[in-house]
Amino acid sequence: MDWNFLFVNTLNGIIYGSFLALISLGLSLVFGLGRVVNFAHGVLYALGAYFFILFLPRIGWTAMVVAPLVVVPIAIAMERLTIYPIRDRPEIYTLLVTFGLSFMITGAIEYLWGTETTLIKPPALFEGTISIAGNQYPVYRLFAAALSLGVTGLVFGIVQFTPIGLRIRAITDDSGMAEALGINTKWLLTMVFGGAAGLAAFAGAIGAPIFAVDPEMGMGVIIDSFLAVILGGLGHLPGTAVGAFIVALAKSIGGGYIAEWSIAILFLVVAAVLVLRPKGVFGRGRIA
Amino acid sequence: MKPTRIGKGWCGILRKAAVVWVTAGMLLFAFEHPVFAAQPIKVGVLTFLSGRLKPIGDEIVTGIQTAVKMQGPVLGRPIELVLEDSLVNAQVAVTKGTKLVQRNRVVAILGTSTLEALALLPVADRLRVPIITSNSGSAVITGEKCNYWVFQTNPTPQMAVAAMRHLISQNPKLRTAKWFTLGHDYPWSRRVARSVKIVKGVTYVGETFAPLDTTDWAPFIAKVRSAGATAVVIPVTLGTPLVQFIQQANEFGLTKEAVLVAPIGLPDWLIAKLGKLSTSIMSAGAWSAWRLEDRQPVTRKFNELYFKMHGRVAGMQAIQAGTAAQMLFAAIEEAQSLNGDAIIKALETIDILTPAGRLHFQPNGRMAEVPLILGRIERLKEPKYGAKFAQSVEILSSSETLLPAKQLGCKLKK
Repeated sequence: MDWNFLFVNTLNGIIYGSFLALISLGLSLVFGLGRVVNFAHGVLYALGAYFFILFLPRIGWTAMVVAPLVVVPIAIAMERLTIYPIRDRPEIYTLLVTFGLSFMITGAIEYLWGTETTLIKPPALFEGTISIAGNQYPVYRLFAAALSLGVTGLVFGIVQFTPIGLRIRAITDDSGMAEALGINTKWLLTMVFGGAAGLAAFAGAIGAPIFAVDPEMGMGVIIDSFLAVILGGLGHLPGTAVGAFIVALAKSIGGGYIAEWSIAILFLVVAAVLVLRPKGVFGRGRIA
Repeated sequence: MKPTRIGKGWCGILRKAAVVWVTAGMLLFAFEHPVFAAQPIKVGVLTFLSGRLKPIGDEIVTGIQTAVKMQGPVLGRPIELVLEDSLVNAQVAVTKGTKLVQRNRVVAILGTSTLEALALLPVADRLRVPIITSNSGSAVITGEKCNYWVFQTNPTPQMAVAAMRHLISQNPKLRTAKWFTLGHDYPWSRRVARSVKIVKGVTYVGETFAPLDTTDWAPFIAKVRSAGATAVVIPVTLGTPLVQFIQQANEFGLTKEAVLVAPIGLPDWLIAKLGKLSTSIMSAGAWSAWRLEDRQPVTRKFNELYFKMHGRVAGMQAIQAGTAAQMLFAAIEEAQSLNGDAIIKALETIDILTPAGRLHFQPNGRMAEVPLILGRIERLKEPKYGAKFAQSVEILSSSETLLPAKQLGCKLKK
C-alpha cells in the first residue's frame, strides 16, 4: 500500500470538497427554503468566474469579492421575474424554469464573452508549490480551500447564530408554520436565492485559476453539487457539507486507484443512500 | 406640297443613340443579372458553428474560405459556400446534410468532423455527392465502413499511433524515458496507450483514464508522479479539457518533471491560448503545420492569404479544411463536370500540391496519403502571422504510417 499516494489523494479530495461544499450549500439552502431545485446554480458559478475575469485587469484580485456582489442582484432579479410568480406551483415548474434559465445564461455568456476557454494565473503570492510531507503541492489550491472553508464556516455561523438564520431554519423545518408566525417566506427566499448565487459566484471566482474559465464550466460542477445535496439530505446544511466531502473524496481517491470505475461507484453510493437513507447521511433532510 | 422634315439629321442621331443606349443596358443587365451571369457552384460546409466546439468550426470554415479565394473560379464559375451548423448532433448532421443536397443543390460537402462524417456514412449513397472530411478521428470512415462517396484528408488515429512509435524510436531521450499514459476514458486513448507499450525497449510505468467530464485532474496527476514517469502521452480531448489538464499539470510542477506528448499535436489556437505552457508539449503526429511553408510555396501562399483574410495564423484544422477544398476544386476542374460520379472518378486520380503537402488518395481506398508532422512546440524567434509559439516541423511520410486500403478493411462498393 502506497500511503503517500493515499495521503496526496486524500488531500486532493479535501481541497475539492471544500470548494464543492461552498457551491452545494447554496443549492441546499434554496431547496430547503423554497423547494426550488435550482438547475441554474451551475451557470451562476460560471457567471461569477466571468465577472471575475472581467474585473481582474481593472481592479486586481479584489475582483474575487466584487464579482459575486455583481451576481447577487442578477440572481435576485432572476428569482423575482421567473421563480417568484410560480412559487406556489409544484416543484417541477421551478425545475424546468431554472433548467431553461441555465441554457439562456450560458447562451448569454457565449454571446458576451465568446466560447473560448480562458486561463488565469494565480496571484504571484500564491504561485508555485510547497512541500507537504515530501509532496509538492500547489500553494493556490491550499489558499482556495482555506478561503472556501472560511466562507462555509461563515455561512454556518449566520444560519446558526443570527436572527435571519433562525428564520431560515424555521422555514426549512416548517414553512407553513413559519409563515403563520409572521415570517415573510417569499422575501426571505428571494434574499437567500441571491446569497446562494453569491456563494456559487465566489466559488467560480476562486476556482478560475484552477479549473480555467469556459461557458459550460457550471455543467460539471452542478452534477457533483446535486450528488452532495442528495447524500447530505435535501435542505440539510451540515449533511450537504459532509456530502460534498464524500463526493470529492470518492472522486479523488477513486480516481487515483480505479479511475474508470470511480464515477460508477460514486453513483452507486448515491443510489444506495437514496434507497436506504432517503433523508441523507444524517437522516435529517427532506424527501422531495 | 411635300412636308419639310425639320431636323432630320438630329432625329437620326438621337434614334441611333437610343438604340446604342438600350443595347448597352441590355448587355449590362445580361452580365449582371443572376439569370444570365455564370451560376455559382454551391459547396456545402457542415460543421460546428456554435457551442463549445465553435473554435474548431471557425478554423474549418476559415480554411475553406481561404481555399475558395485562393482557387478563384472553378469551370469559370464562382464558388458559393452554404454553411450549416451540425449542433454537435448526429441526427441534426443528417438532416442538415440532406438539406444541403436536396434544397441547396450543393455539389459536395466539406468541413465535417468525426461526428458528422460518421452520421453521413449510412446516407451517403442516397445523397450521391462527394463528402471530403478533413477533421475526423475515427478509423472506420476510411476503414471497415469506407464508402464510395466519402473521402478523408486528415491522418487517421492509426497513422498518429504509428507516428508516435516513430517518434519514440527515433528519439533517444524518449526511448529511455519512463512512459505513462494519462488520457480520457475512451477507446482511442487505450489504443494510444497500447501503441506506446509495444515499442521495443520502452519502459512503461502505468496508465490511467479519466472520465470525460473530469475538471479536476489532481488525482490523475498524482498517479503519474507516484509512478515516477518522465514522459507522459496525453490522449486528452482537444479544447477545454486539454487546456485544464495542461494548466493543472503545470500547477503541480509535472511539466518540469516529464515531457508531455500530444498524440495528434495541438491546434494553433490552442497553442496560442496555452502560450509558454505549450513549450512543455511535444507533438507526435500533427495533421499539418503552417511552418511547412518553409519547404512548400503553396503552404506559404495559403498562410499569407489566410492571415490577410482572417488576421491570424492558419491552424492544422484550417490547413486540412483548405486542403480538402482544394482537392475538390481540382477534381471538378479535372472532371469538367459537376456530376457526382465524374468528380469521384477525378478525386481517385488527381495528385496535386496542397497546403498540407503533395496529396492523392490511396488506391482502392478513400484515405489521403498525407504526411504527419512531428516535433516540439517552441517559441518563435520572431512572431509570424500573430503566432509567438508553433510546432517545429519534422515530416513523416504516409508510407511509414498508412496501411493499404485492403488492410484497413476498406472494400469499396458503389
